[in-house]
Amino acid sequence: MDHTARLQSAPSPILNQWRAVVVAAANMLLLFAVPALAHTGSSTGGFIGGFAHPLFGPDHVVAMVAVGLWGAFLGPPAIWLLPIVFPLVMAFGGVIGILGVSLPGVETAIALSAVVLGTMVALAARPPLWVAALIVGVFAIFHGHAHGAELPPGADVVAYSVGFVVATGLLHLTGIAIGLLARWRAGRIAVRTAGGAIALAGVAFLSGLG
Amino acid sequence: MSGFGAGVLHPLVLPAHVLALLALGLLIGQQTAGRRIVSCAAFVIGLAAGLTAIAFGVGQTPAADALLATAFASGALAALAHPLSALACAPLAAAAGVALGLDSPPEAISITVATAMLIGTGFGASLTLVVISAGTSYLIGVREWIWARIGGRILGSWIAASAILVLALRFARGQLL
Repeated sequence: MDHTARLQSAPSPILNQWRAVVVAAANMLLLFAVPALAHTGSSTGGFIGGFAHPLFGPDHVVAMVAVGLWGAFLGPPAIWLLPIVFPLVMAFGGVIGILGVSLPGVETAIALSAVVLGTMVALAARPPLWVAALIVGVFAIFHGHAHGAELPPGADVVAYSVGFVVATGLLHLTGIAIGLLARWRAGRIAVRTAGGAIALAGVAFLSGLG
Repeated sequence: MSGFGAGVLHPLVLPAHVLALLALGLLIGQQTAGRRIVSCAAFVIGLAAGLTAIAFGVGQTPAADALLATAFASGALAALAHPLSALACAPLAAAAGVALGLDSPPEAISITVATAMLIGTGFGASLTLVVISAGTSYLIGVREWIWARIGGRILGSWIAASAILVLALRFARGQLL
């Protein structure tokens, strides 16, 4: 059965369980959400500071949500592999940023990630899993680098890092929760429209409007 | 709070200890029953050794960094979710136990209270690990909840990412080892 047929078929117990998990996670995220104003680089330490940091950059937020949307669109195993791959590769990028190794065009690549990932969702693109993981992984390095370079010299580094990674993961789960709407015809249109909006937002970030 | 009670809670209030115990518990919970027992026993032995060393007044050690390194390794292996040999899992558990023990110096002046805290820390950390690994094993192996297996892998990747970021930050600040 191809992915489209699988997504349009009767709900499986696994997907129902997944939906419950991601909805709960999305609710948790809403409890902690703060307005996305600009990517200013929060200077607060501790769990809350780390948790808020990824949420303060609209370019990061839309790209993270797009990863989840795309994962849900691709279906299993991408739906859970992408949220596993992204944090690990992002951490590698973060290490590079922390160590002060410069990476060219970081902000451009982050804006481009919104364009590419949003376009993939809008076009309902279904490349092989390894291609999807490669695309997500490459962009994860740039996202991680940007965050790593901005980590504040706060006191509680462990709590900050945990908050930062958890917030990123919950953004993915939010995207997955929205992406699960793609199981219905109207939902597919809504999800693809959301992908188009993310791609447009990426274009705005690229052109300096965002 | 009594010295023993404070010791029991000690591994549960320090983020690095929580990370390490959670990652190791998830990893051990993914293994077969025999390897779970061997790994938990290795952790308890390592923990006892670390706490004993603290009791005998061992000096400053890089135990905090070693604990984060074990959290990274355990989290990454839990994310991969491949069955490990007992030779791979047990030494990792023992290393985590030693590091956690050495990173748990009692904050007490009285020798009696300090000893009670160390015993409490050993009890609390061991119990936490057993509960996490047994819970993971129950959800994955007995109930066969696929989302629990997937959730464990995602949680493992988050812990590994957090741990490596902290280690990199400590290295960049010249605080590592």
